[in-house]
Amino acid sequence: MYLAAQGTLLRMAEGAQLASGLRRGTLEFCVLAMVEYEDRYGTEIVRRLAEEKTLAATEGTIYPLLSRLRRGGLMDTKWAESPNGPPRRYYSLTPSGRSALANFRTEWVSFRLTVDRLVGTGEIA
Amino acid sequence: MKPNQTDLVGEYLHEVELRLSGLPLLQRRELLADLAAHIETERAERNVQSDGELIEILERLGSPEVVAAAAYEEAGGARPAATASAQATYLPPPGMPAAPAAPKRYGWIFAALAAVGVVVVLCLGGALATFRSEGPPEPASPAEYATPADPTSPATPPSAAHSAPPATPPSARTP
Repeated sequence: MYLAAQGTLLRMAEGAQLASGLRRGTLEFCVLAMVEYEDRYGTEIVRRLAEEKTLAATEGTIYPLLSRLRRGGLMDTKWAESPNGPPRRYYSLTPSGRSALANFRTEWVSFRLTVDRLVGTGEIA
Repeated sequence: MKPNQTDLVGEYLHEVELRLSGLPLLQRRELLADLAAHIETERAERNVQSDGELIEILERLGSPEVVAAAAYEEAGGARPAATASAQATYLPPPGMPAAPAAPKRYGWIFAALAAVGVVVVLCLGGALATFRSEGPPEPASPAEYATPADPTSPATPPSAAHSAPPATPPSARTP
């Protein structure tokens, strides 16, 4: 019984590792896409992404990602007053963020098609 | 805002800050300001009153260990400067982002083993004490139960807390 429980724990750990491997390198483009047409504040972005169970992104881990995107010049931020609470930090897409997003869209489609072909998941989608 | 709620938020942020010592000052400040603003915004927008609701907000944010690990990962492979401190054990090895989640799942096993160990030691101690006093048989049996029971409950959490973090990294690597 102990061994069975350990097996379950192992599978759970492997599942978490797979999810985090898939998340890496793609989550940032989900963030960029969120601010493509309108500026959004941090809590809004974080809440929205954490809602997506597949992404399995813990809220607090998204702020360091936002920081990196800002430092990398893909997003800009500015603080603004809020009607019902503390000041909000709004994120917006910079021109280089916009081109990074466009580039990802092209890359992602061919990447996805290749993986689907090799793994045999093409018919499902 | 109740004073104990301020304490709770302050304590959480402090726990995060303790684990960020290897990050550049401005990145550290930025993350703490972002987290503080997040908590304040959630409280205002969800009209949080109770401690329970506040704890939920903090739980959704994630444990200080998980948040700090993400900060190091996004800092571009920056390693904690003060690796001499025990806090370094909370950080996953580079290239293993799932590590912070995995040890948690095994941690309880070691915590439970440690707790069982403490109980066994205390029971033996109690039995030994009663064995030595031998004289009056009447108070011996209540003493046997009373002695281990009292120190056990306060003794278990600290010992579990101490043994869990060092015990977890090897367990994560065993499979």
